[in-house]
Amino acid sequence: MSHLHIPDGVLPVGLWAPGLGLALLLLLLGARLLRRASPQQLAYQGALGALVLAAMALELPLGPLEYHLTLIGPVGVLLGPASAFQVAFVASAILSLIGHGGFTVVGLNALVLGAGGALARPAYVALARRWRPPAAMLAATAVTQTVSGALWLAVMAAAMCVQAVGPQRVKLAAGVAFPLYLAGILIESAVAFGIARFLVRVRPDLLPGAGARPAEPR
Amino acid sequence: MINTLAQIDHLASAGRTTWHRASALSKVVLGSELVLLAVFAPSLRLLVGLYALAWGLALSARLPWRLTLVASGYPIAFTLLFVLARWDGTAETPLRLLLRPLTASLTAVWLVGTTPYPDLFAPLARLLPRSVGDGLFLTYRALFELMRRTGGLWRAVRLRAGTGGPSRRRLTLAGEGLATMVLYGFERSERLYATMRLRGHNGRVCGCRHFAEGSRADLWVLAAGLVVSGVAAWLWRTP
Repeated sequence: MSHLHIPDGVLPVGLWAPGLGLALLLLLLGARLLRRASPQQLAYQGALGALVLAAMALELPLGPLEYHLTLIGPVGVLLGPASAFQVAFVASAILSLIGHGGFTVVGLNALVLGAGGALARPAYVALARRWRPPAAMLAATAVTQTVSGALWLAVMAAAMCVQAVGPQRVKLAAGVAFPLYLAGILIESAVAFGIARFLVRVRPDLLPGAGARPAEPR
Repeated sequence: MINTLAQIDHLASAGRTTWHRASALSKVVLGSELVLLAVFAPSLRLLVGLYALAWGLALSARLPWRLTLVASGYPIAFTLLFVLARWDGTAETPLRLLLRPLTASLTAVWLVGTTPYPDLFAPLARLLPRSVGDGLFLTYRALFELMRRTGGLWRAVRLRAGTGGPSRRRLTLAGEGLATMVLYGFERSERLYATMRLRGHNGRVCGCRHFAEGSRADLWVLAAGLVVSGVAAWLWRTP
């Protein structure tokens, strides 16, 4: 649910303007960290960004519901914090061009998605010292989804409070959103487990800490 | 979603209207004006006026109305959350809540439907850090290819009964399938790197430089901008 992109005109300017400013600041910081990135790294980042968008378009049938993945957890593990945040920003920007999420809220959408993605690599590296890579990927993705989903819920709650929505209705909305939030954590983590299980067998060097590539966490 | 984007992307390159001939920079400025007015407009009449103007732009660009309606209608589902939360029994509040994002998304569809992506990204890439600007181009370039492959993979998973059985198995299988896309993305980046080196990559994926080249068609964009400003000045203080 962290990629239910917020459209223009729904949130008050007091929320989206600081979000945009903070996102641009983080992009500048990330760009400093990535200034020595090779064109191949940028191309890999672009391909995984495209995979995030492709995954968002896929419909995963789960009983009566259809779930749309984000894959920002595994992508965050594979790319590192700075690149993962850039991927989140670029994905939000491209989606805003087709009306999926607003122009003015690109920053907030990127912060919601990117904050989780930025934590994925450090969480994975810490966990992979004790656990096997698929389990570490699963747990790192759970952390990612927990953070992104919680931020999304916080943005929604703040928006409702600013717009003077009654506490009963906020509670009702939270009651609907919270089970979806938990389902998102479980689904994304299980998919991430599968991704890591396959990569460990076929290209373990793509996972951090397993070989020469990819580069150290940024 | 991506199919809609692919159709709009095709229209941007194949279209021959005045809007298609106008420079990307002037259209980005007009689009920004419309979006910001929609976001800040205090008046319902102004919002209705802006929405009508955005439809005028989209239809005069000969974008198919059904495609435009579908592409610009995505915010409805999300905005309904707020409509329900702020329901006060009047028609004004829901209309106000719906028209803001709808006008913005319709403007986005008009902009993307009349501007090929290298022209559209070029001015944005100049404002963003290098790696982010390059990321816009590289991600969009890879998108349709990745999407086609992912769609094929999904069909294969379904045909081979990968969508049956307990959820845990299905999700893990889906993950393994998507991991092949990660591998493909990595191999693709190696090929692209070799191509970029052969073509003398100088540290920046540069968009077309003619995004700011003016033409007579830009006068129409200017006229549209003046109409939008006029409507805003006229209706700003109305209820």
